[in-house]
Amino acid sequence: MSGRRVDAKVVLLGQEGVGKSSLVERCVHRRFRAGPYQNTIGAAFVAKVLSVGEQTVTLGIWDTAGSERYEAMSRIYYRGARAAIVCYDLTNSSSFQRAKFWVNELQNCEEGCRIYLCGTKSDLLEEDRRKRDVDFHDVQDYADEVKAEFFETSSKTGQNVDELFQKVAEDYVQFSAFQEMTEEKGVDLGQKSSSYLYGCCHH
Amino acid sequence: MAADVHKKKGWEVPNGSLAPGNGQHAERSESPTPGLAQGTEPGKGQSAGQEGAMFVHTRSYEDLTSPEDGGAVVRSPEERRGEPAEPTSMEQISKDFSELSTQLTGMALDLEEEMRQSQEGKLEPSPQATRHDSVLSGKEEEDVTMDTWRMHRKHVFVLSEAGKPVYSRYGSEEALSSTMGVMMALVSFLEAEKNAIRSIHADGYKVVFVRKSPLVLVAVARTRQSEQEIAHELLYIYYQILSLLTWTQLNHIFQQKQNYDLRRLLAGSERITDNLLDLMAHDPSFLMGAVRCLPLAASVRDAVSTSLQQAKAKSLVFSILLSGNQLVSLVRKKDQFLHPIDLHLLFNLISSSSSFREGEAWTPICLPKFNSSGFFHAHISYLEQEMDLCLLLVSTDREDFFTVSDCKRRFQERLRRRGVHHALQEALRTPFYSVAQVGIPDLRHFIYKSKSSGLFTSPEIEAPYVREEEKERLLGLYQYLHSRAHNSSRPLKNIYFTGPRENLLAWVTSAFELYICYSPLGTKAGAISAVNKLMKWIRKEEDRLFILTPQTY
Repeated sequence: MSGRRVDAKVVLLGQEGVGKSSLVERCVHRRFRAGPYQNTIGAAFVAKVLSVGEQTVTLGIWDTAGSERYEAMSRIYYRGARAAIVCYDLTNSSSFQRAKFWVNELQNCEEGCRIYLCGTKSDLLEEDRRKRDVDFHDVQDYADEVKAEFFETSSKTGQNVDELFQKVAEDYVQFSAFQEMTEEKGVDLGQKSSSYLYGCCHH
Repeated sequence: MAADVHKKKGWEVPNGSLAPGNGQHAERSESPTPGLAQGTEPGKGQSAGQEGAMFVHTRSYEDLTSPEDGGAVVRSPEERRGEPAEPTSMEQISKDFSELSTQLTGMALDLEEEMRQSQEGKLEPSPQATRHDSVLSGKEEEDVTMDTWRMHRKHVFVLSEAGKPVYSRYGSEEALSSTMGVMMALVSFLEAEKNAIRSIHADGYKVVFVRKSPLVLVAVARTRQSEQEIAHELLYIYYQILSLLTWTQLNHIFQQKQNYDLRRLLAGSERITDNLLDLMAHDPSFLMGAVRCLPLAASVRDAVSTSLQQAKAKSLVFSILLSGNQLVSLVRKKDQFLHPIDLHLLFNLISSSSSFREGEAWTPICLPKFNSSGFFHAHISYLEQEMDLCLLLVSTDREDFFTVSDCKRRFQERLRRRGVHHALQEALRTPFYSVAQVGIPDLRHFIYKSKSSGLFTSPEIEAPYVREEEKERLLGLYQYLHSRAHNSSRPLKNIYFTGPRENLLAWVTSAFELYICYSPLGTKAGAISAVNKLMKWIRKEEDRLFILTPQTY
């Protein structure tokens, strides 16, 4: 089972065609496929090992399908996720609206999930600045508001992709260390109260 | 066998008729007589009885007359009463064979005439503009006002009952909304009179309607296929849509909102549907309603099957290993059967997407013939990057990804331990065999289907059928013979067809179906001895060409 062990579940969400699969492909296989668009069916799982300091962290990455058809199912993919990379296409403002939808959904259903906003296809902006359809500062403000990290990436050139996943892994290490500290206390309290309740029910 | 049990229950109405109800009583001949004669045909599992069957095997015209149909196709009670299959036995099969030559002399002349006509129609150029590489937004759609659009050999349209476009094979749905409106008007107009439109025949075209509430499917074809066969293909498209949404969800949506634009939910699936239509034009699996196996030494296949069988989990229902569109092994839960239609849909799903090549996919999928109301979860992955070997694990539990993923790991480990990896790789190098192996000089190609196992075998299509059009023409000939053999009003058991470029022979019994294609210079007597030789060869090779001992967990 050791090969299968995953430390942190990471989920990619976002409108179809924003480049979630390309992001994963760049991160895991270090390549970019320019070929015809292939939509993801359901969701794809890959494991990626990263090192943070002296520790290694295995991210279990769920690349979900953006199609509306799978929306009802999406919960099984993000349930229990420690991090969510919510993608939008920098050249398409409607995809950012969709990203906001996912952020809301995560805030309501997965409190423990850290959110990383990821604007994709930044290489297209380098070709032509006028293509930008989502303002950098707007997203920054929004990210602050929802306490999310914020990256602009290009899977084609690889820009910021490693940084994004490295940040996810680092935050996981930091956060889980923090959680271990707080958890011990929490467990004590919980045990007390539950035994108390247990007694209650019996009398 | 299980399949036969179903037949006895009368779930299946083989050869369900789409033909106009002109009161003509059907004289049935595709007599799937249960139990009899099953030991005789090659390619049939040794372990007779319930566990021997791989699939619930049916030739699926039954769908057209099934109760869920909503009564769109009504069969007269007389027709139903005329159903009982004529008795067939082993002796009869051998008698059939000896009589083959005499019966063949009675070959109808009109057949030839008909073929010539449809061949003329085929000579028109058929544009090859398809939208395989459709990109998400900027996909190149054809201009529906152009002649090239009109020239396509088969159009397929899907629309909702409100007349809203759902899918069009060629051209964008928007541009066709008025055309689809007309189609819906035609359907509604006849329904108002308590009638159902089935087809329109005009100017070499067949316009076939299949009504599957809340959807309407329409094909406009100038192929040689019969109306039933076109309707059968439309049903596949319907099932394809169900496999993405489930019947329950589809109905729920339209109950909530009649004029819902279903394309929203189907976004990204056009490629799968396109692929299915292309596949049906090339692959005889759909015509035969059966599945082809990868030729593989029995010992290797057994090792693979056993490895699959051992890598089980509680929630697993089917474990399927496939290569290209051929089956390598299938292990199923006891008492659960996979319908060939469902398996074809799975094959199509995998062949239409390269996205499964990376990582492990976990996707909801409905198997409409198994249960159209719910989703299974399928774990789909390739065993190795460079190897065309795809593993499909079908689970009932959507939370079970890691358990199922572990099954894959265990399967691969067992495979390695048994050391069949190399043999598998070797077999994958030659996924098709050559007809030359049979050793009959005039024989060009054949299709042999074992009815009880739901499996068929067929060699690679070789010269002179090299170009795509030639291959399609050959399949077209098979389609034609098949539709004649299974014609609901006048079914045929033996057909001998002499064409300008090849001769064909079809032979349909209760146990098997055989279609052979051979040189136009060959004689009828030659064809009959070829059949004899071929049957012997298939029997000799059956453990390589078929899965004789299907496994259960």
